Amino acid sequence: MLNILMVGNGQCGNRILDAVNKQAFGGKTKFAKFYSNQKFKSRVETIAVNTAINDLKELKFTKGKDRIHIPHLHGVGANRNVGKSVFNDNKDLIMRQIEDRGRFDVAFVVTSASGGTGSSFTPMLIKELKERYDFPVYAIVVLPFREEGSLYLQNAAFCLKDMRDSGADGIILADNQFLKQLGGDVESAYNGINDMIADRILFLLDALDSEMMMVTDLGDFKTVMDGGAGLATIGFYRAEKDVPVKTAIQKALSPSGLLFSTNVYDEASRAMVIIRGDKSYLSIDDISNEVEKLSSAVGHVFKGIIVRNGEYPQVLAVLTLESAFELEKLYAIAVDAINQEREKKERVDSKKEVNKAFSQLDGLEPSY
Amino acid sequence: MIKSKRIFLLVLCSVILLMTLSGSASARFEYYEEEIKVGDGYQINNYVIDVTDVFLSDKLAVFKVYKNGADKPIYDDMIGINDTLNFDLENGEVDLKLLSVGSGVLNRVNVLITVKNVDIYLTEIVNGGHEYATYSGTPVIELTKTVDESNIMVDDIITVTVTAKNTGDDKATNVIFSDPKQEHFILDKSILEQTGPMSLDIGASQTVFVYMLKATEAGIFTLKSSTATFSNRANQAFPQALSTTPTVTVTAPEIPEVPKKNAVLELSTDVDSMNVKRNDQITATISIKNTGDAPASAVWIEMVIPQDLEYVSGDSTIEVIGGVPKIYMGSFGVQQEKEFTYTVKASELGTYTLTTKLSYEYDNGVDAESQKVSTESVTGNVYVQKGKYDALLEQPIYVYVLPIIAIIAIGAWIFHRHKQYKF
Repeated sequence: MLNILMVGNGQCGNRILDAVNKQAFGGKTKFAKFYSNQKFKSRVETIAVNTAINDLKELKFTKGKDRIHIPHLHGVGANRNVGKSVFNDNKDLIMRQIEDRGRFDVAFVVTSASGGTGSSFTPMLIKELKERYDFPVYAIVVLPFREEGSLYLQNAAFCLKDMRDSGADGIILADNQFLKQLGGDVESAYNGINDMIADRILFLLDALDSEMMMVTDLGDFKTVMDGGAGLATIGFYRAEKDVPVKTAIQKALSPSGLLFSTNVYDEASRAMVIIRGDKSYLSIDDISNEVEKLSSAVGHVFKGIIVRNGEYPQVLAVLTLESAFELEKLYAIAVDAINQEREKKERVDSKKEVNKAFSQLDGLEPSY
Repeated sequence: MIKSKRIFLLVLCSVILLMTLSGSASARFEYYEEEIKVGDGYQINNYVIDVTDVFLSDKLAVFKVYKNGADKPIYDDMIGINDTLNFDLENGEVDLKLLSVGSGVLNRVNVLITVKNVDIYLTEIVNGGHEYATYSGTPVIELTKTVDESNIMVDDIITVTVTAKNTGDDKATNVIFSDPKQEHFILDKSILEQTGPMSLDIGASQTVFVYMLKATEAGIFTLKSSTATFSNRANQAFPQALSTTPTVTVTAPEIPEVPKKNAVLELSTDVDSMNVKRNDQITATISIKNTGDAPASAVWIEMVIPQDLEYVSGDSTIEVIGGVPKIYMGSFGVQQEKEFTYTVKASELGTYTLTTKLSYEYDNGVDAESQKVSTESVTGNVYVQKGKYDALLEQPIYVYVLPIIAIIAIGAWIFHRHKQYKF
């Protein structure tokens, strides 16, 4: 049995963590925690960290003892510098919480790249984890909507850079901009994205600790994640009806199944494909054909097959990227945003001349 | 033989000695030494010893004994110095011993008189002898009490007259009359009251009491006798005389009968349903009406609730005293009627009746004491049957316990989870 640590930093990380916990109960209602137990295959410890207490209070499926509030006003206000400072001040508290939960084989840190707490805490937390422990640490990073504003874009750009510098064993990308195709209102869109990410994480955790017809394990996952440029994404498809496994694999690798916009056949470096379902659906020929097609484009592909009686075919693909066109676009926009912010600040600084006008009133009092 | 004779003689001597000693012990002797002139006498009670002659030279004297002033002496003797004249006196004896004779204007004698076993009430020298002695007799007082009416009605007045008559042979002296109070009568008026002391000559008659009595109650009553105490001329006291005791019949007047009044409280108890389910409520109505012609007082109504029924509530006049619902009314007028309702709850299956006890008092207008009445009314049978959910109660205990445990466990689990996920 694997020992898995999953930390959710900031509002986005907390909510994805809560979605993972919710789906682990199996039930779809908010009362599932009262009548069900979490169905993790492994020992999974989840910890939600945030400076905004209200965000922690909104969580429904994460135990109280697993919600760590770092007191600093009601958040760091999307200021990563403040966030870093707060993390440094409370690093011992956070690390002690992790330490108290025992030994782990792997850790996932979930965060948004654009916010304040998550984007500033995560790189530093990964760095601390890497310095203290020898288990691999992976970041699951959610990229912002491009129209969310220059601060968020700037944060995302610097966060990803810090993340790479922190020593993370891999960064799994999920892009809100890409996933907004889900549609609906803001809340349902966010919830939908969170549930999508949670679905994939749960599947991955389940797969890493399951007995398989064809084996993929944590070592394979680590090998996959070591490939490429340290960036990765996940493709997933769950058939709701009688669908050939070939189709399921194709859909998992298609844009509708991916968390990040990429052409896997052009940009992927390594891959791991895990197929689950009733054995009647698991045609070895179809699976082999599709895996061969993928491996001929990306190189090595690990494949695992899990037989579950009565289940429709489900496919999870972990893909490491050697290049990410979409990420380059993001950085281009982010650089523009950084420049905009700098110019804005210079303009604001120049407007301090206005203060001279007010300074003429120094020492004077109104007379009536 | 000789020995028997000795014993006989010894016993005989002892008896004679005892008789002698006992006779000496009971004899009474009185001694009088007197000097009596010739022609005078010495009186002992109604006997007079006259000294008729004294012969100085011969030292002799003649004595004659007269009784009750009779002309002829009952004893007559001449005796010398130290001689004794003996004669009977009443139930005793008298010994007269001549001690000496003497001279003077008139000759005289000195005598020693020994009186044996005589109740002496008079001893004295009688100048002139027996003809001048005073003799005492026996006065007899006859008291007659009469009434003027012997058959009267209650509250009638009778006149009581008491007369006294001396039918004896001596004058009654120191006569004192008394008349006791009469029971069943009250003294209405006293007309004459001569209680004495007075004297009553031989044959004399005297009215001593005249008074009027009022009869206070019916019956046949004998009046108590009047009494008289008296003495004779020699101051001898005689037994008290009692009057006659007339009988008076007192008849009660006929009193017209007063019709008695009654307070008759009619009581009934009804219930709203004779068939109820367990734990349903039964409403009972108590109706009470005074159909008599007198008001009732101290009216108590007590509701007897069977053990398996529970008193729930009732009218404000109902008080629960010692666990028993009761109603008290100080008075309940003629033709007045009232209704009271109360509810009970049946907790057990069964057949029940509701009993109402009623007690009250009333004045019937004749008797001094209040009349007390107790009665009760009982409803018909009330059948308590199984309730809608009774089947649930009849299940084995685990049927209730297990769900409760499950609910508690679920509740505890939910609470635990809530605490676990609370932040």
